[in-house]
Amino acid sequence: MLSFAEEIVLLLLDDEKGQFVDMPLSSIDVVIAGAALMDPALHNRIDTDLQRLTVTDQTPTGDDILDHALGLLAKAGDGLTVSAAVEEIATYGERYKQQALDRLVARGILRQEEGRFLWVFHTRRYPVIDDQEQREVKSRLRQILLSDEIPDPRDVVLICLIDACSLFDLMLTADEMKAAAPRIEQLRKMDLIGQAVAKAVAEIEFIIRHNTAAIH
Amino acid sequence: MEISHEKQGDVTIVALAGRLDAGATKAAEDGLNAVLGPGAPHLAIDMSRLEYISSAGLRVLLVLAKKVQQANGKVALFGLGPNVREVFSVSGFDTIFSIQSDPAAAVAAVR
Repeated sequence: MLSFAEEIVLLLLDDEKGQFVDMPLSSIDVVIAGAALMDPALHNRIDTDLQRLTVTDQTPTGDDILDHALGLLAKAGDGLTVSAAVEEIATYGERYKQQALDRLVARGILRQEEGRFLWVFHTRRYPVIDDQEQREVKSRLRQILLSDEIPDPRDVVLICLIDACSLFDLMLTADEMKAAAPRIEQLRKMDLIGQAVAKAVAEIEFIIRHNTAAIH
Repeated sequence: MEISHEKQGDVTIVALAGRLDAGATKAAEDGLNAVLGPGAPHLAIDMSRLEYISSAGLRVLLVLAKKVQQANGKVALFGLGPNVREVFSVSGFDTIFSIQSDPAAAVAAVR
């Protein structure tokens, strides 16, 4: 099974172009940070409530992204709010993204391609070569969004992350999006880390829109 | 975390007491799985002595709700204190679970 950081990196990649979807880099960092927190949460290594995030078990998991994130949180102590924890971990979002990409290449899910843009600038693409797991995940999530089926905790996390990235329109048709909107609204709140990620992404996008409007 | 249960006709009333957090998930899962027998479960969960619930605790209840749904059963909660109710409200869990005001209403809701 893929980690949430790997899952969200895959979902953020345009399958055909092999490049990340159009989204502010700082938002991608926040979403990957959230994903890096959600795995230890589902393994009961961290716990959250409406006030704070607590490290409940520092035993290494063997996953370098999770263990690094757990170490940072343990060092920060128990006083962090969930939002502050996401911000803290987001500092390492770019690093986690690259680690997740390297793992997906090593597992034969992605291929790394080097190239040149305008014969000068170095570019790197990650076309998907094995999309079976992603197709299964998307199919399961579509089923949950278009029915009254109760999701399992893993599905809730993915729904929160995908919603924070506004990626559902890549998985659902326009009619399905319309039908699923109340359901997404219901399920997106069900993970407190997911709520903090969505809030941080919305704030980044607000700042970008505000600054762009000010320039124009 | 303490879990006890009693039968009232075809409905099982499950009482949760204490803190339902990461440290209590194993005990909670075991206790709740024990009341899920063969057939469709009808559960009324008494939360009146539940002092605290974290995200880990919410996940335990979500998994329970999914199992009950898959078995074509019903589950309702009652007796939520203000702190627990606030967590349910902020997390949207109050839209997943049937939340009733008292034991009689919860039992009626799952029959």
